[in-house]
This record gives sequence, structure tokens and C-alpha cells, in this order.
Amino acid sequence: MSSLVVLGTTEQGLMYAIMVLGVYLTFRILNYADLTVDGSFTLGAATAATLITSGYNPWFATGVAFILGCLAGSFTGILHTKFKITPLLSGILTMTALYSINLRVMGKANISLLRERTIFSDFESLPYMQEYGVLILAFLTVVIIGFFIYLFLETEFGLALRATGDNELMIRSLGVNTDLMKITGLALSNGLVAFAGSYVAQNQLFADISMGIGMIIIGLASVIIGEVLIGTRTIAKAVLAVLCGGVIYRGIIAIVLQLGLVATDLKLITALIVILALITPQLRSKFSRPLKNV
Amino acid sequence: MLNVQNLVKIFNKGSVNEKTALDNISFNLNKGEFVTIIGSNGAGKSSFLNAIAGNFPTDSGTVIISDKNVTTLPQYERAKYISRVYQDPMSGTAASMTIEENLVMALRRGEKRRLKLAIRNKDKDFFRQELRKLGLGLEDRLTTKVSLLSGGQRQALTLLMATFKEPELLLLDEHTAALDPKTAEKVLQLTCDVTRDSNLTTLMITHNLDQALNVGDRTIMMHEGRIILDIHGEQRKTVTINDLLKMFENASGTQFHTDRALFA
Ligand SMILES: Nc1ncnc2c1ncn2[C@@H]1O[C@H](COP(=O)(O)OP(=O)(O)OP(=O)(O)O)[C@@H](O)[C@H]1O
Ligand SMILES: [Mg+2]
Repeated sequence: MSSLVVLGTTEQGLMYAIMVLGVYLTFRILNYADLTVDGSFTLGAATAATLITSGYNPWFATGVAFILGCLAGSFTGILHTKFKITPLLSGILTMTALYSINLRVMGKANISLLRERTIFSDFESLPYMQEYGVLILAFLTVVIIGFFIYLFLETEFGLALRATGDNELMIRSLGVNTDLMKITGLALSNGLVAFAGSYVAQNQLFADISMGIGMIIIGLASVIIGEVLIGTRTIAKAVLAVLCGGVIYRGIIAIVLQLGLVATDLKLITALIVILALITPQLRSKFSRPLKNV
Repeated sequence: MLNVQNLVKIFNKGSVNEKTALDNISFNLNKGEFVTIIGSNGAGKSSFLNAIAGNFPTDSGTVIISDKNVTTLPQYERAKYISRVYQDPMSGTAASMTIEENLVMALRRGEKRRLKLAIRNKDKDFFRQELRKLGLGLEDRLTTKVSLLSGGQRQALTLLMATFKEPELLLLDEHTAALDPKTAEKVLQLTCDVTRDSNLTTLMITHNLDQALNVGDRTIMMHEGRIILDIHGEQRKTVTINDLLKMFENASGTQFHTDRALFA
């Protein structure tokens, strides 16, 4: 692999890692399989691209992407908590609605950001940043976000959020409004996902209506890979694990592509990774030695 | 302290499965009183505690705790006044979180959760000191995940979590029933100690008739969603289990039956 490919893969991996952290918040912390992700990733990209091509400051555009992602997540949360729609269906409904909304936002199926000002072009114009500007900005972003999410999960509020995913009955009887916790968690998660979408669009210099398809599965695969390789004994370790998982996933994909697989097969491979990870515990108990009856 | 008036709860109203779980219950509990509750399976004991705690909306009647009408408050807002321990040792703690994290969440019962680091060093000292009282060696395992504890350890931890920030009302739903006899005895002893030391107002459901008469200072018996017996004061001191069974038969017109009643 050329060093250019390695560099590009790492940059991308770091941006996707932000999305993976979002998926971790719902999938692991809240124990909620949230499919909004496919729509909110595109929402972030679409928002940033549209605002930037309309002449807005790219940093502002990135911030707006985050906020709109939060709104999308809250919508899913409200469908689930206030109207008792199942988690899966709530996410699918928001995701479907977002497809039309994203098209409305963009006005067409894709927007090019060639020769536009982006957060990366801004950063690269700083001294010493021409060569590794993208990598450094992506890395700094991941470190800062990862650190704050870790701190957040150690606060009183963060503990209540984690307990909502672990034992809702218990934390409610300790005085926590668990509906509010779920809505907040979904909002934060999708905010991060949309934020990642805006980064990816500004890095690849285009936004596309279908760029979020399968994102949830990529997120799950990355979470699982990170957890298996690094472990989850403490919250700090778990956050580090999922961030690394995001980067490693991109690395695996890059290698697979180098080996000659076509890009359209990637979703199949990703799905297989997730399936394998999900069935391993069952297989392990099935093939382990049967216990003797005493 | 606790005042329940004409409380009614009907499950699946209007369907073929309609079930009146609480049938016009009125009940008064004084501050510092410890009441044991007995009754056959399906008598409505758990429903009674759930209605007080706000697990579900009731159909009519009022619940007043410390002069505050909480009838329409959601469960999480009643947490300010109420602590609970359930029968299932798994349901009182968050398994994936550590002992100290569980404890600190209980310490903030009924308070607003802020964006502030949850555990401080002075909390740890307090937790160690409280855990030591359980005599289970948990004081050296603050950062152990609760999933690694035994059922008895988890239930003792839940009891501590329910009482170390003194609730106005403590609700116990067969909280020793899932434990082996020795552990159950220990958890019951802890319950008696803490309720006495802190003078807690307590409602405890039990299937152990001996326990029902010897623990606490008042016994009520439920049947088909109603309170059919209320024994306290001098009378309670002389009542035997056999008397209790006879009183039940007279008041309800049926035999006392439950899948796990203990007469010893
Ligand atoms: N959520 C619910 N939905 C429908 N019916 C319910 C519900 N909870 C309880 N019931 C019914 O209400 C009645 C009273 O149940 P409850 O659990 O209060 O009894 P209990 O006295 O605690 O019995 P046990 O000794 O078996 O614990 C039962 O007939 C039960 O089937
Ligand atoms: Mg019960």
C-alpha cells in the first residue's frame, strides 16, 4: 500500500470514528439499536455542503450539521418514548423521512465542494499544515470529542444515562426521567454522526444523498472490532476502543480493496463481520464441552 | 405519613382480561411504623406498593406522602420520598456499572443529575464506611462491577442503596425470597437494624408468616385487592400463626394459599 493510501485511510478512519462513537452511545450505552444513523450521517454532509456552497463559514456549517443531527436524534427519541413506537421502527421512520429532507436540503442528489473553502482548507493554510493538516485536524477532533464524551459518561448525568441502558426500572426508581435520558442520548449520538458526516463531505469534497446507506452496520462493526481488540473494562478504555475500532475498520476495508475486491462487495463483508461478532458467543457455548450432570 | 384513600387499580379495563388488582383500598401509615403485608398469590400486594411508588397510573383514589398529594406524579418524581427493594436481586442495581457508581446514583436519589463528575474522594470514604456495615468485604471492592457479585451481595447492596440516604418511605417486596436461607436471614437482620436505627417508615411484603408477625410492629393481610385484616398493638403480641390463618379464613371465606408460604 502506498503511503498516500495509508494517510488517506487514516484520515478517513478518524472521521468515521466520530460516527462510531455516536453509534456506541446508543448501541452500547443506551442499549438501543438506532437506525436514524443512516439518515443523520447524510444530513450532516448535506447541511455542511449546502451551507458552504451558499457562502457560509465552514466551521459554522459544521456546527449547524451537529445541531441538526441532534434534532433528528431527538425526533427518534420522542417517537419512541412519548408515542411508544419500538426503537427499530422509530429509527427507520426518522431515517426514511430524512431521505426526503436531505434531498430538499441539497436540492439535488449530490453537491460538489471542489474549490470551496472547507474546515480542512482553512486548517491547511496554517503554518506547517500543508502536508498533514487533514490528519492533524481529524486527530485533534477525535481526541477532544473522545475526551469530552468520556468525561460526560463519568458525570452524574452520564451515570444516569448509562444506568438507563442497563436497568431502566432501577434508575427510574432513583428519580431519573428515563425518557429524557433516552432522548438526550439519541440526540447526542446523532449529533456526533451528523458532525462526522460533515467532516467526511468536506474531506472528500462532495456530499451525496446515498452516502449514509449502511452507516449503522459500519458503526456496529467498528464498535465490535474495537471492543474485541482493546476491551471494555472501564469507560475510558471502551471509548478508546470504539474510536480505534473506527480507524481499524477503515484499515481493513482498505486492505480488502487492495486485495482486489470490488467496492460494491464491501457492505456484504461488513455485514458478515457484524454477524460473526454477534453469533460468536452462541457458537462458543454450542461447541464447548457439554457440562456433566452432577 | 402515608395516607391512601379509596385507591382503585383495574388492569386491562374493558377487556376480557379485566382485573381489579386494588379494590378501594384505604390505609394510613404513621411515621416510623414498620408494617408487614401478607396475602395469597395475586392478592394485590405488589400492585399496592407499585401504586404507591407510581409505577402505573391508578383509576381513582389518592396517595398522600408527608402531606403531599403524589397521586398524579410519575414514578421518578416520587423517588424523592420513596426507596424500594424488589424480590429479584438483579433489579435493584445496574450490573454493568461498578459498586461505587451504583452507590453514588442512589446517593443522588430524587436529585437533579448534573454535569459534574459523579464520584469524589470523600464519597469513597463514606461508601467504604457504609459497606463495612454489611460485613461482606465489599468495602475493598468499590470499583468491581456489580455483575460479579452474588445474588445475596447484590441484594444487601440494594438494601444499603435504598436506606443510606434515608427515604421517607421504604418499600420492600419479598426482598429476601430469592435468597438462600442463610443469606435471607442476614439481609433480614440488616433490614431490621437499619429500619430501627434510622426509624424508617416501612412496608414489607413477605410470604413468611413467622416473619410477618415477628418483624415490625403491625401486620396487614390482603385478599382480592382489599385489606381484610389489620393487626397491631397488644393483639399482635399474642397472635400465633394458627390464629392468623383462622382469621384469614373467617375474613375471606377461603383458605390461605400461596406457593411459597412458610409456616415455620
Ligand atoms: N401489569 C399488569 N397487567 C395486568 N395484570 C396485572 C399486572 N400486574 C398485576 N396484575 C394482576 O393483578 C393481580 C394482583 O397482582 P399482584 O402482583 O399485585 O399480586 P401479589 O399479591 O403481589 O401476588 P404474589 O404473591 O404472587 O406476588 C393479579 O391477578 C395479577 O395478575
Ligand atoms: Mg408480588
